[in-house]
Amino acid sequence: MDSFVKWSNFAKVVPYAELFKEGLIVTVLLSLFTVLIGFCIALVLALMRMSNFCPFKALALDKDGHQRESGFLAAVGRFNPLAFLATAYVEILRSTPVIVQVFIIYYGVFGMIDLPGFQLFGFIKFSRFFPGVVALGMNSGAYLCEIIRAGIQSIDGGQTEAARSLGLSQVQNLRYIVLPQAVKNILPAIANEFVVIIKESAITYTIGVQDIMSAVNAVKGATFVIVEPLLVATAIYFCLCFPTSKVIAYFERRMSHGDKR
Amino acid sequence: MATRDSLIQVTDLKKHYKGGAIKALDGVTVDIRKGDVMAVIGPSGSGKSTFLRSLNLLEEPTGGAIIFNGVDLTRKKYKNAEGKTVKLDVDGLRQKMGMVFQHFNLFPHMTILENMTLAPIKVKGMSRADAEKKALELLDRVGLKDRADAYPIQLSGGQKQRVAIVRALAMEPEVMLFDEPTSALDPEMVGEVLDVMKELAQEGMTMVVVTHEMGFAREVGNRVLFMADGRLCEQGTPEEIFDHPQNPRLKDFLAKVL
Repeated sequence: MDSFVKWSNFAKVVPYAELFKEGLIVTVLLSLFTVLIGFCIALVLALMRMSNFCPFKALALDKDGHQRESGFLAAVGRFNPLAFLATAYVEILRSTPVIVQVFIIYYGVFGMIDLPGFQLFGFIKFSRFFPGVVALGMNSGAYLCEIIRAGIQSIDGGQTEAARSLGLSQVQNLRYIVLPQAVKNILPAIANEFVVIIKESAITYTIGVQDIMSAVNAVKGATFVIVEPLLVATAIYFCLCFPTSKVIAYFERRMSHGDKR
Repeated sequence: MATRDSLIQVTDLKKHYKGGAIKALDGVTVDIRKGDVMAVIGPSGSGKSTFLRSLNLLEEPTGGAIIFNGVDLTRKKYKNAEGKTVKLDVDGLRQKMGMVFQHFNLFPHMTILENMTLAPIKVKGMSRADAEKKALELLDRVGLKDRADAYPIQLSGGQKQRVAIVRALAMEPEVMLFDEPTSALDPEMVGEVLDVMKELAQEGMTMVVVTHEMGFAREVGNRVLFMADGRLCEQGTPEEIFDHPQNPRLKDFLAKVL
């Protein structure tokens, strides 16, 4: 009986090493840009969700200028369109499959926009790479938003009270007191999300991004060998994800001064 | 009472929740004068902390007025001397009111020195060198100069609270607000914090102290307020309050705590 994996088949993969190398670079760049975009989106979303922007506040006041406690107008007064939009975004992105989002962005949104046809480093097709980054970034933004919000809200309210009573503005309080402490708390969750993004980026091969999975496909098409290139891809993904979480764990330990005696 | 020495005038201050069903503060009127050391006592839930926190707007009052530096803090907008409508500068006013909390609220990710220099540098625009010099002077006064580079978690409760006091003092406030500053401390550490506060009072700092330390209220305070159910039930000198209480609620309260 033939064995599941044949050494001779690995030899067939070797000529395609260059493809895997390029795929590795694409996957790494894809993940880095995704995290960058995702983090920016997430920060804006988190601030929107926690904002105090109620444009119809005045409607909730009664004739004497007192706050109404209940009823339709009180609800209108509490309505925060920024928080509503951010919440809607997060819930929609979290409740639909990534592949659907990637397709909608690639075929829908960028189907109508002509992207320049140049290639980064000579092998990354910008017209496919960019939509992939945007789609993954939007998706991870939704998840990161919830992580950031939880992190910020986990900081004791007394910290903000102390900062504000010293005269720090809301922005200064966020910048110097709340965020530095929140980042420390959410680092494990962000590391986890980063690793998830590296793995999830494999989905962009369906829109023709030439990442590691696309290299597997190319080898499969040319040699009819399937399992061995997949194992190579497995090894590469593992070597990316495992050290990533270890590196972040190291920074986490370094940032924890102030926690220990 | 001469109003020219008045620092904060509180008139009919109200804080209602649920459309008036819950009255945390129900019409408190009091005049805080420069140099006053005012102890606020009363049973828990009487509105002492709400009153104190309203003074620097950590709680938003729902009615009444707080006049500080000629400005009513309860109005978000007001007309200035030239008749122009200006927005209330809450951050600017808070700089002039130091606040000390029950749970210290030191910033755990910063050293003691950083805790003390953050606001002077970022808010007042002091140079780092000046801010650090001043911080070390203040730390020296409370005997903690050698802990400047420690993190808050490395300090005892009493040390943390002394740092919290000098952190507020570093902003050179006109009045210091203390919200039960010794309630979270182990008994043997209460004394060191009260000593610092006593010294501060003797230097003429205006202080409003919500406290359960009746000894401190009697010894250091020049005025004592007794609150119950969101109202100011009785106020007077420590002798009047502790030796000749009039209000039955106060008599009842003193019988329980003394």
